[in-house]
Amino acid sequence: MRLIKHSIERKTGAGSATLLPEEPEDMVSWHAYNLIRPTDLLRASAIRKVISESGSGSRSNERVHMTLTIRVTKLDFDPQAAQLHVSGRVAEENKHVKLGSFHTLDLELQRNFTLEKAEGWDSVALDTLKEAVNQDAKAQLWAVVMQEGLANICLITDHQTILRQRVEVNLPKKRAGSTDHDKSLHRFFQTTFDSLLRQLDLANPKPLLLASPGFTASSFYQFIKTQASNGANKPLQQLVPKITVAHSASGHLHSLAEVLASPAVTSKLSDTKFARETQLMDRFFELIRKDDARAWYGPRECELAVERGAVGKGGGVLLISNSLFRSQDIRTRKRWVKLVDEVKEGDGEVRVFSSMHESGRRLEGLGGIAAILTWPIEDLDEEVEGGDQDEPAEDGADGEGDADGGVDGIEGVTGHDEEIDFL
Amino acid sequence: MQRVKNVGYDEDELYDEEDDVYEEDGDPGYTAEDRANFSALTPVVRAELEEAGVQASDQDIGAALWHYFWDVGKSVSYLKNSRTPRPQQQGVKKEDKPKAKSKFDEAAQKSAETAAHADMPPMSAADWFRDVPWTQIPPEMEGSIVPATPVIPRPKLLGGSSKLARLAEERRKKAVAAANVASPPVTNGASSSLDRLSRPKDTKENEAPVPKVEPKRYPIRKKREPTPPPKEPTPPPPEPEEEEKPDLRASPTSFGRTLAASLPHSRYTPSMTLKDMLGSGVTEDPFKGPSPDDTKLTNGCSITGNTGKTKQPAANGLAKKTEALKLGDSAPSAPSPPKVRSKGLDVPNLWAGGKSKRKASAAFVVIGHVDHGKSTLMGRLLLDTGAVSQRDVDRYQKQATELGKSSFALAWVMDTGTEERERGVTVDIAQHHFSTDSVNFTILDAPGHRDFVPNMIGGASMADLAVLVVDANQLESGMKGQTREHVLLAKAVGLKRVLVAVNKLDATAPYSWSQDVFQKVKNDVLKFLGEAGFAANDITVVPCSGLSGENVAKAPKPNEPAAWVARTDLTLLKALEQAVPSGGNGDAVKRPLRMQVADVFRGGITNPLSVSGRMTAGNAQPGDPVLVQPSGETATVRGVEVSGEPRDYAVAGDICTLHLTDIDPIHICTGDVVCDPSQKVPVVESFTAEIEALDSLLPQSVDVHLGRLHTAGSITRLVATVDDKGVTLKKKPRMVKAGQRAIVKVAVEDGVPVEGGEMVVLRAQGETVGFGIVERTGG
Repeated sequence: MRLIKHSIERKTGAGSATLLPEEPEDMVSWHAYNLIRPTDLLRASAIRKVISESGSGSRSNERVHMTLTIRVTKLDFDPQAAQLHVSGRVAEENKHVKLGSFHTLDLELQRNFTLEKAEGWDSVALDTLKEAVNQDAKAQLWAVVMQEGLANICLITDHQTILRQRVEVNLPKKRAGSTDHDKSLHRFFQTTFDSLLRQLDLANPKPLLLASPGFTASSFYQFIKTQASNGANKPLQQLVPKITVAHSASGHLHSLAEVLASPAVTSKLSDTKFARETQLMDRFFELIRKDDARAWYGPRECELAVERGAVGKGGGVLLISNSLFRSQDIRTRKRWVKLVDEVKEGDGEVRVFSSMHESGRRLEGLGGIAAILTWPIEDLDEEVEGGDQDEPAEDGADGEGDADGGVDGIEGVTGHDEEIDFL
Repeated sequence: MQRVKNVGYDEDELYDEEDDVYEEDGDPGYTAEDRANFSALTPVVRAELEEAGVQASDQDIGAALWHYFWDVGKSVSYLKNSRTPRPQQQGVKKEDKPKAKSKFDEAAQKSAETAAHADMPPMSAADWFRDVPWTQIPPEMEGSIVPATPVIPRPKLLGGSSKLARLAEERRKKAVAAANVASPPVTNGASSSLDRLSRPKDTKENEAPVPKVEPKRYPIRKKREPTPPPKEPTPPPPEPEEEEKPDLRASPTSFGRTLAASLPHSRYTPSMTLKDMLGSGVTEDPFKGPSPDDTKLTNGCSITGNTGKTKQPAANGLAKKTEALKLGDSAPSAPSPPKVRSKGLDVPNLWAGGKSKRKASAAFVVIGHVDHGKSTLMGRLLLDTGAVSQRDVDRYQKQATELGKSSFALAWVMDTGTEERERGVTVDIAQHHFSTDSVNFTILDAPGHRDFVPNMIGGASMADLAVLVVDANQLESGMKGQTREHVLLAKAVGLKRVLVAVNKLDATAPYSWSQDVFQKVKNDVLKFLGEAGFAANDITVVPCSGLSGENVAKAPKPNEPAAWVARTDLTLLKALEQAVPSGGNGDAVKRPLRMQVADVFRGGITNPLSVSGRMTAGNAQPGDPVLVQPSGETATVRGVEVSGEPRDYAVAGDICTLHLTDIDPIHICTGDVVCDPSQKVPVVESFTAEIEALDSLLPQSVDVHLGRLHTAGSITRLVATVDDKGVTLKKKPRMVKAGQRAIVKVAVEDGVPVEGGEMVVLRAQGETVGFGIVERTGG
């Protein structure tokens, strides 16, 4: 996206920014999804059906192009279709639309939209904006994670991993004197290949990664090669050299994290953000595996650690998933923004993970937030529990919620739920 | 050939004919078993028939039963049908009864007429009758139609509605009544109509006999027939078709009559179907021998009499096929599709009763590191026990040598996949059966490669005991790799007994069959297995060599370097027989049916959909309704196979194949559970399990393995760490360390059929991170 103009006051964060979406839709919708929050004011071009009644009582339908300003009430993000629908109530009346009537805006490419934050632009929102207008070349990669009978076709971008298609075929097992297995394996490859071709833009081929346990991926690679050499499909032949075959532990999508962290793949991915995120996650898991008291996860643990200034200069990193900031509840969002600001003030590092990437998903499993501390704090979790017991009156709601597992990430968790659908 | 041609049609009819043919060569008498079956099943059939209000003699019932291989359901329906035949069957089975002129006869008549003209050079009917006077045909111009043997019997109308069937039945009853009174010399409806035709055509005369033979069928005709329009001096030859409908037209003018009568045959042509013409196009002497229908009927009935089995002329082969096709045609018109009828066996009792007579059976999974020789050892075992012929192995040897992998020849017995053979690595579980004098064994040969551990888990979950194959020369690599993981997984899926085959002793250094090497390996393995939690008396260690075959099925000879083995250790086969656990428990057989699907495949032409797997609880017999979870679709068991042989039933503990019907294959996948429809397995999206961690566990993504089922999931919460007795050590731990026991909550991506008490294995990044037992599902 391009930043056309912005008038954001530094101190209060009040003001608006005008953006022009230029990139492919999935980017735009993803960034917009992270930028736009309920209660924000969004001004964008819209088409609205206007019914007018003439004096004689006859009604006429008309589709009118207009620019509408709405106060956002709801966002609906569909990652597979790469679309974002923003619903809200009209905040500026015009001759066709009354104040307060509802409208759902679909952001369009090459059409400006203006966003004004009701609560002002906080630091995280500004970072998101910065990231959105970053004009660096975006890496994109197709990946097929497969095993015999299962193939997940997904698109990997800087910010998200989108499962585009899942192929599931029941393969008969080998059995003496029967070629059913080979036949259905061939059919499985054919189905996967056909689905893949429907997704790929062959005119402008992106790198394609095939990963599987055993030989499935290499067999599939051979299959594609045969198809390319047999057919008269020229673009397909150009795709072949862009294919990388890698090993994964299983054909399920979560094996992708392991694949993407492998050197064979990182060298092909121009994007370093993802590699850094994966590295950090690995380091965190490594620490926790060693039972190092410098690694903690969970909302309250991290807050406590930040409170004590343990996430600061010299190795302190706060890992936080951006799903936490997408909270519908402004208070919850503010709480995380405050935490991020605190760490930044203490010269600690903050990494906002994309909830739609594999590393982000691993973080979500931990409640959406984790921290690598500068110095070890033993038994942080017990203190959290103790703290709960000590001050039940003050923090009753939280403590209670904590008992059933991470109240503090309520919204984060709902966000997670809503995304697990397309995992 | 017939089989192929008649796929999808009524197979039973087909088989009957085949049986008849076979029967001619052999002894047609009944065996004692047959008689026993007769006495057992006849009352059942009789009861069924009486319920339906049909009477039948013992002989008929016996014939039908024999005919349908003791299938009560089919026999009953056959008898019912033969007592109250549908129109299609009339012509087929009831030739002995005098038959009314039915639509089929009309068609037959038509076709016979066509046949009469079939040999003529191509010319129109008008041409043919050009110089024939309208009436009073001079005798020299009268043609005589020579009857010809039908190579293809006359065709019948396709399909048929129930209404038509009712009509036909009424008609037949009337005909029977009429026949009883008049007993006309007509034996065959078709021939009677033809007889009339073969006489010189006399329209006047023709009118008379028709009503005589033919009972009045429709009220309309009743009115019309006795009062033919008096103005018609020379009515056109009366056609049955014409009589079917009331004539609403005005009577034709004389000119019109002349015109119409001039081309008597051309009128039929448009109403004739292609089948009519084809059917009689190549007739020669249609009524010389017994008609194919008669032959068939005689065959069917003569079974009880053991005599008078009419030899079917070879030329009738084609006729038979047509017959079968016609029967097939009639099948779709049946109101309900043929259901698999249950014999209603009391399987638990039968099973308990036959317990002492039965051979013990056991399934063992062969585990171990990749390239330690699992498949080769099993190939050797199968070869030496005679389950695989030397000829096959020689063939594999030749093919393997061509690929430059001659040492893999024995492994090819197990590794049948193309990819497996090319790469020399087992990919999936191979299943094989062999028997010794006392035990029926099922081999489940697991892949050793780490990428295929999911398949190994599936195989191990079907086994009673494990055979761990260890390369005597490469114990270390195995211990770091899959020897260790497989042993832990065998423990994880609940296997208690382990038989260790120390393999490749023929290639030990510094000299082959070194006893020291064996002892060292044995001690190491025993130590490790002890650590893994196997009891010492559940472990047997056997030295052997799969490639050269010493001490697998046969003990080495005294003059060989391996001779010491015979003194100290059992052969692998003997050890296996000793390790067989004492039979399953009767309780499991009585519980509701549970069987996890290990494979879905096409079991052959007659069984388009078959599933195989180990029945963990309950029993199944043909005719049982079952439910497939998670799809929730119902199916009917059509057949049961155990160890590749058809059985009356299968019980818990059997590795069996169920042939299913009434279900679409898309509803069944590997890993699904076939269960009792009344007590189905719940499909859940999360469950709580008590697990033992092999690696540190956090809330994280894992692969969840439940036997053959392999799905993506995640640990959503660490509920608590517990000690061996289940006492909670710490609630909500930050992490679970390797070696700890913990209660965790696991969510799976899609709903999976799982019940409490099942073994679950969790893997991440290609390694087993934990295993345990499902405690609670849902929530």
